[in-house]
Amino acid sequence: MQGEIAQLDRAIEAIRVRFGSQALTRAAELPPPPPWPSGTPLDRLTGIGGLPCGRLTVLAGSGTCGKHTLGLALLAAATNQFAHAIVIDPSGAFDPWCLLQFKPDLGTLTVVRSTSSDTAGEAAASLARAGAGFILLMGEVPEHWLGPMEAGANRSGAVMVGVVEAPGRAFAHASSLSFGFSRLGWVWERDQLVGLKTIARCIKNRVAPPIGDAELEIRYPVGAATFSSELSVFESSLEEVVEAECVSAVV
Amino acid sequence: MRVCCGLVPHLELAQRRDLYGSPVVVGHWEEQVIAASDETVQFGVVPGMPMRQAEHLCPQAAFLTPDPLAAGRLRELIASALYDVAPVVEVRGEGVAWLELSGVPSPSASIREARRRLRTAVGVEPRLGLAPGPFTARLAAARARRGRLIQVDEARAFLAPLSARELQLDDESMERLDLLGLRTLDAVAAIGPRELESQLGREGRHAVLLARGLEPDQLTPWRPPMFTSAHRQFEPPVEDREALLFVARALCGDLALELGVRGAGAKQVRVRLLLEDADQEGRESVVRHALSSEAELFGLIGAWIKEWQPRAPINELWIELPVLEAAGRRQLRLWAGGGGTSEEVLAALERLQERHGDGIVRKPRLALLTSPVPAQRFDWVS
Repeated sequence: MQGEIAQLDRAIEAIRVRFGSQALTRAAELPPPPPWPSGTPLDRLTGIGGLPCGRLTVLAGSGTCGKHTLGLALLAAATNQFAHAIVIDPSGAFDPWCLLQFKPDLGTLTVVRSTSSDTAGEAAASLARAGAGFILLMGEVPEHWLGPMEAGANRSGAVMVGVVEAPGRAFAHASSLSFGFSRLGWVWERDQLVGLKTIARCIKNRVAPPIGDAELEIRYPVGAATFSSELSVFESSLEEVVEAECVSAVV
Repeated sequence: MRVCCGLVPHLELAQRRDLYGSPVVVGHWEEQVIAASDETVQFGVVPGMPMRQAEHLCPQAAFLTPDPLAAGRLRELIASALYDVAPVVEVRGEGVAWLELSGVPSPSASIREARRRLRTAVGVEPRLGLAPGPFTARLAAARARRGRLIQVDEARAFLAPLSARELQLDDESMERLDLLGLRTLDAVAAIGPRELESQLGREGRHAVLLARGLEPDQLTPWRPPMFTSAHRQFEPPVEDREALLFVARALCGDLALELGVRGAGAKQVRVRLLLEDADQEGRESVVRHALSSEAELFGLIGAWIKEWQPRAPINELWIELPVLEAAGRRQLRLWAGGGGTSEEVLAALERLQERHGDGIVRKPRLALLTSPVPAQRFDWVS
């Protein structure tokens, strides 16, 4: 084995001497993909300051653990920043009403309600290739569509986020970044359930060295939501401008 | 008009990030101070004073000679980094960057991105100001904390209590203003432009307009340079095609780096070989899609060199990019992200509808949000 590695190293070195240092690059030496700063606490865990463009990020966790809420926060941020934010929803469970608390721009939102997972895969691959800015997958994509989807996203730089309970082997393998969510407990105030505490762990990171975990407190909207204007929020705190009001990090 | 101003350290200081936090003075020894770090202010050092005086006031400071070339490069770097965030960008060596945000779909996103890029370029958080014009925006930024933004809606009300020194007039004009009792911008604004013009000349009229928040100055838009080239001399002259390809690739890499910094692409490529017999051979092409990466440039130039049959050994290789791509196409962030491929996305959605029916692609539109029936809250448009 050692001999084979040494042989391979020699071959790589020979190619570089002959054709230049850029003729052949190891995957580990490739620069990280450009980040899309989503404004959510996940940015701090990716190691590059945002979700990787052109790669698949998976949010996984069983039961109520906040993965969907974060997925929706990402989607809402994307609707305000990209010309096209797409939800691929094979189960038909996506309700834009849940998104409203995050102040989305519904004009840029498109929902693909596929009747089968195969159609979802086809949609994901073709939209990634076409260059949709952000694609939220509300379920897994069949294995044979993962390759075209990855290649398409890589070419166009589309940000892809998958929200699943437990990713299959192929889906997990295709992701460059995976976060596992597990609920720590509920948040009660005056005998009313107002949110949950969850821990987000970076369980796979192919774009930067993995950075531990973060404890998140996710607050459900209670009563009438009041939103101040975008710029006045900006004035008071630059960091939190995109951060959804019901998501706060206690890293 | 909405203008955002980002204040960073003077670009002469920004080249020495290792000295951030310590007193630094930049200038030629027998001349005046060009830039001084914030840490020297408490000792009374200000730009414009003689260097010897600065040394007397703050002997513990690091005294550096200016490097205008490096500062110019940094200025170009910042301007090109901000260029696709706003339609009009101006960057000055004193560490002031203005972005005009009129017509930008998401001004706050542009400001956030500008802040991030300024921080990356100079290594410290910029102070930010957002106001109806460049003068007010700069003064607002100067009063913001690092990494924060002050937004000004009413320029005149914001400017009123500020000192007349903010007008940055020469000493003589300032003395006259002082003698006239005009010590705040409010006082200057209250006087008629013609009246002050009769005292201070054109500067007086300009000062009144500034003090009234009327913003007489326009930004000078930065434009990416339209020509660039790289060359390599061979000693002794070469005949080996492999060597020529190797050098061409390196030159393409250099040019690609430069194009990246400028945010430009080459619309025309020219290669010249200067031969040993003092003659030269050349090849030139206009490309349909602008080339900006090393792979794109070398893909074209390498193909030429591989089939080139020079008559004599080559003394010098020149790669020239005489026409760089114009501004608009590269300012992609001015549109919502991904807007450049909007047509392709729409076409992909239409293809999905053709294959699987119209219902597969739907867009939600607000209908009866207060309805208890979820299906009534949105209209779904195919």
